[in-house]
Amino acid sequence: MIDTPAVEIEHLRKRYGKFEALAGVSLRVPRGAVFGLLGPNGAGKSTLVKSLLTIIRPTECRGKMLGEAIGSRKALSRVGYLPEHARFPDYLTGREVIHYSAGMTGVPRATMKERTDKLLNTVGMREWGDRKISTFSKGMKQRIGLAQALVNEPEIVFLDEPTDGVDPEGRIEIRKLIEAMRDEGRTVFVNSHLLGEVEQVADEVAILSHGKVIRSGKVADLTSAGRCFELRTRGPVPMEIRQKLEAAGLEVAGDLINIPAEDAGEIQEVIDALRSAKVVIRELKESRLSLEELFLSAINDSRQEVPTS
Amino acid sequence: MRAALTILWDSFRLLQAKKLFWIAIGISILVALLYASIGFDEKGMTFFFGAKDFENPILQEGKPEAAAFYVMIFTDVIVRFWLAWFAIGLALLSTASIFPDFIAEGSIGISLSKPVGRLRLFLLKYLGGLLFVALQVAAFTLIVFLALGLRIGEWNLTVFWAVPVVTFVFSLIYCVAVWIGVWSRSTLFALLGAFLLWGTSLLAQWTEESLYQAANFNPESGLTVDYRTGETYEGEPREKDSMLVSGHRTAKKVVTPLPKTRDSTIYLKRLIKMEKRDTFLSGVSMGDLMSGKLPDPTKKDAMKRFEQRHTAWYVFGTSALFEAVILSLAAWIFCRRDY
Repeated sequence: MIDTPAVEIEHLRKRYGKFEALAGVSLRVPRGAVFGLLGPNGAGKSTLVKSLLTIIRPTECRGKMLGEAIGSRKALSRVGYLPEHARFPDYLTGREVIHYSAGMTGVPRATMKERTDKLLNTVGMREWGDRKISTFSKGMKQRIGLAQALVNEPEIVFLDEPTDGVDPEGRIEIRKLIEAMRDEGRTVFVNSHLLGEVEQVADEVAILSHGKVIRSGKVADLTSAGRCFELRTRGPVPMEIRQKLEAAGLEVAGDLINIPAEDAGEIQEVIDALRSAKVVIRELKESRLSLEELFLSAINDSRQEVPTS
Repeated sequence: MRAALTILWDSFRLLQAKKLFWIAIGISILVALLYASIGFDEKGMTFFFGAKDFENPILQEGKPEAAAFYVMIFTDVIVRFWLAWFAIGLALLSTASIFPDFIAEGSIGISLSKPVGRLRLFLLKYLGGLLFVALQVAAFTLIVFLALGLRIGEWNLTVFWAVPVVTFVFSLIYCVAVWIGVWSRSTLFALLGAFLLWGTSLLAQWTEESLYQAANFNPESGLTVDYRTGETYEGEPREKDSMLVSGHRTAKKVVTPLPKTRDSTIYLKRLIKMEKRDTFLSGVSMGDLMSGKLPDPTKKDAMKRFEQRHTAWYVFGTSALFEAVILSLAAWIFCRRDY
């Protein structure tokens, strides 16, 4: 059971009239990992999450969540969710918001009280738990939102833009909470357009564009695809060597040589050539694609693939 | 069960947070206490716990007419005006926003992502809205029950019919607010729609009642109304005007599919049983008792037929059908929609 993925979407489609919000998405989210779903605004990220949680009724959906059919009550009882722009009733206190979620997922009363205290502590809201939501800042509401998402001890937690509108300090705390969830063995599904943040916390990502998954996999694998080494010399690379390097397909600009290579062994020849010409090597560093670069290249590729009418 | 209790408890918290709820409860208790302050002595009626008294040859301590009159103040004045008008109006103002707020972006997601079916969620949320009126009327009726027992010695449990009946009347209007609220997501439209339906239905019921009076009650009781001056003359019973009778029948057909808000509150008088009133005081109006003289048997019979002209099916059955249709539409939109 543990080996089965937390979410396995075989085929998910959602149409609004002629507009196809999700055009047959397939996705696999491993258990116990932080999974980031990335995409520009309007790509279908929230639609996908809402479809999995029955907030939106998909046009076509085949797949499993936690070993059960997607949308089944059994699966939903083991899920936590923090929606984008979460709005909690102003008449409730932080504690009551958590109690509401607990009641809706059938958590017994005694357990609920115990867990609420623990969660308020975890999200740093112990002092504020008995105050009305209307007195909370955006960051405090998000923390309460995270606590309510965890009250049923879910196996998978869906966080839709969890750091949206939260100050930098709050973002760091939310990131730590996500890491803590992973350490507890939960699967965390993060929907975000803040790539830097996802890169810091996610184990796997999928990039969604125009309702399709255009790239997915482990963050380390995806970013290593564009791995290269940057070598800097003291002064510009001598013209004779530069011509040779360029002829070999390397990019040279002034004192900088870019060497695409998976492994450091592949660049030894370049170093030997430079050293034999008595060129002084000032700096050598390994460089990977950032998630942002990967994202932009993937989005650009997908735009080129979309036929223009 | 746990989820159902959670939703109902949340509705109660919502009501507690509304100022109007407490204002309405406060006024209700005040009205109930005013009612409890009415009493009877050997000369007539007393008000404000005996501070003010009015002589009346019929409404005196120990007489069945006084007991009947005391109940009539509740059924004909308080229920019909305070509970069926102001309390319901205030409740509507307070509850019309429940569904538009509930289905707002960022709000409904948490509830829908829980293992609770949409229809169940909708119905429980709807029931929660009805709590506003049910709790108010229950508190009010309890005071009335105690007042009846202590004042006239009649511990009449049938007064508690007011709780389901007034809540039912509110539900007839509230279901329209819910339907429009779910459909348009706007509290303003929900309120406007509910008040419009309420007004239309009242107008239709008044028309039916007026036509019945003109076509049946007046000829049966020998009353003649001068519609230019508004004066009423008493005389002998006469033949009914077939045109008016047919006009009333048509009006009744038009009213049938509409919710009977007014007729339901009037029907409450028939549900609250009083042995003496229901035998020899049947057909006696409040006005008759206030004036200190009882009407003749012909008028009494005509009044009785007038008060009992509708069946329970016509009043409650057709209204419940209306509610079921509107609620089904609202539930259908709620369950089918993407949020």
